[in-house]
Amino acid sequence: MLYNKGMRVRVDREKCTGHGRCYALAPEVYDADDEGSCVIPEQQVPPEHADVARRGALNCPEDAIEISGN
Amino acid sequence: MADESVPFDRDDPELARNPRRMFKLLRDHAPIMHLAEGPRPGTLVSRYGNVLEVLRNPAVFSSNDDAVDIGQKRPIIPLQLDPPEQTLYRKLMAPLFAPRVIDALEAQTRQLAIDLIDAVAGGSGCNFHSRVAEPLPSTVFLQLLGLPVSRAAEFIELKDGIIRPAVETPSERRAAVNATGEKIYAVLEEVVAQRVEQRRDDFISGFLDAEVDGERLTPEDVVDIGYLFFLAGLDTVTASLDCIVAYLAQHPEQRASIVADPSLIPNAIEELLRFESPVAGVARITAQDTEIEGCPIAKGTHVNVMLGAANTDDRFMDDADQVDFHREVNKHIAFGAGAHRCLGSHLARMELRVVIEEWHKRVPNYSLAPGIELEYSEGLRQVENLELVW
Repeated sequence: MLYNKGMRVRVDREKCTGHGRCYALAPEVYDADDEGSCVIPEQQVPPEHADVARRGALNCPEDAIEISGN
Repeated sequence: MADESVPFDRDDPELARNPRRMFKLLRDHAPIMHLAEGPRPGTLVSRYGNVLEVLRNPAVFSSNDDAVDIGQKRPIIPLQLDPPEQTLYRKLMAPLFAPRVIDALEAQTRQLAIDLIDAVAGGSGCNFHSRVAEPLPSTVFLQLLGLPVSRAAEFIELKDGIIRPAVETPSERRAAVNATGEKIYAVLEEVVAQRVEQRRDDFISGFLDAEVDGERLTPEDVVDIGYLFFLAGLDTVTASLDCIVAYLAQHPEQRASIVADPSLIPNAIEELLRFESPVAGVARITAQDTEIEGCPIAKGTHVNVMLGAANTDDRFMDDADQVDFHREVNKHIAFGAGAHRCLGSHLARMELRVVIEEWHKRVPNYSLAPGIELEYSEGLRQVENLELVW
């Protein structure tokens, strides 16, 4: 655990078409830009938001969100 | 239950009520199915993975104006354009449909819903379709366009003239649809001309002022966008409300769960959008010879992209034939996917949520009127005889 950097999320803006499932389900982690596409203010996810971050990513119909670490 | 070898009768109302058994047969035995004859020859694509493949490849599976005839005289923007031309229009339009904008419309939409529901809640039953599901989105649309709500009946009639023309033959249909299309264009041209002269706080004015990289929409573009709204924004929400409430009327335990815990409603709506897929499919046309899963498809083939079949595909989701309001992962594509993902999805979701919330506050217990056999329209799954009692 000492070297665990925790979870990181990133969105592929080419794949995102603005379904908005991520920020509807996990507003703690994902946000909408002016067009309704996903933006991620802070890619490093604090441990208390890891579950919702994962849920937001798993619900993306375009598979546009990548999770790394845990 | 019918034997799997028994062919389906396309006029059987049970097939329209529950198309999922047919969807499964298609996915399992003919996932890419060519129909040479019948009212709509073309290719059916039914598995989730293949449907996504089609929707994400607009260069091959075009959404151009040959794909569907809904009375348009020019390509409907942006549905009947493909990337890259479509992309600019989407960039211009998306901000007007973004969640923050839709959030600001929620209070007035909720009041509309409350007014419609209060008008029937004191009685002992109503036709949900005609009293709530149809007037709500039409009225929201009129407000967005900045048109008087008193014109709602006129607009519903025009819209039905395109979606459900009262005709027998394909050529009659074309004539009726084109005639109604002309009337819709006339209304839109009138409103756009007024807003060109003087802006108001409505969508038409917003479109006239929208700008991306110095590009603006012309008044003609705005008319063409309005045409899509007219057809895409009204019946789809009506069909979704019909499908959701018809399901809840027949599943009292699941209905009780959202009455007891309204925070479940957004998830319940997503699950019923998936399971019912009110927009059963979307149309594409191949721009070149191609293939899916090794099945050749010739250039110029109409492709029926079966969203409903994809959404109930057990290859993509466990227990896809079950309705579970507590589902943690639900990547349904009831609003499509790829470049043409429904631009109005945030508006639609808001409309659905406020109606379902307000309805169940006022009418928590209801069922289908005795003896009613629900009749679902094909394609866009409306339920005109959704008679409820409570």
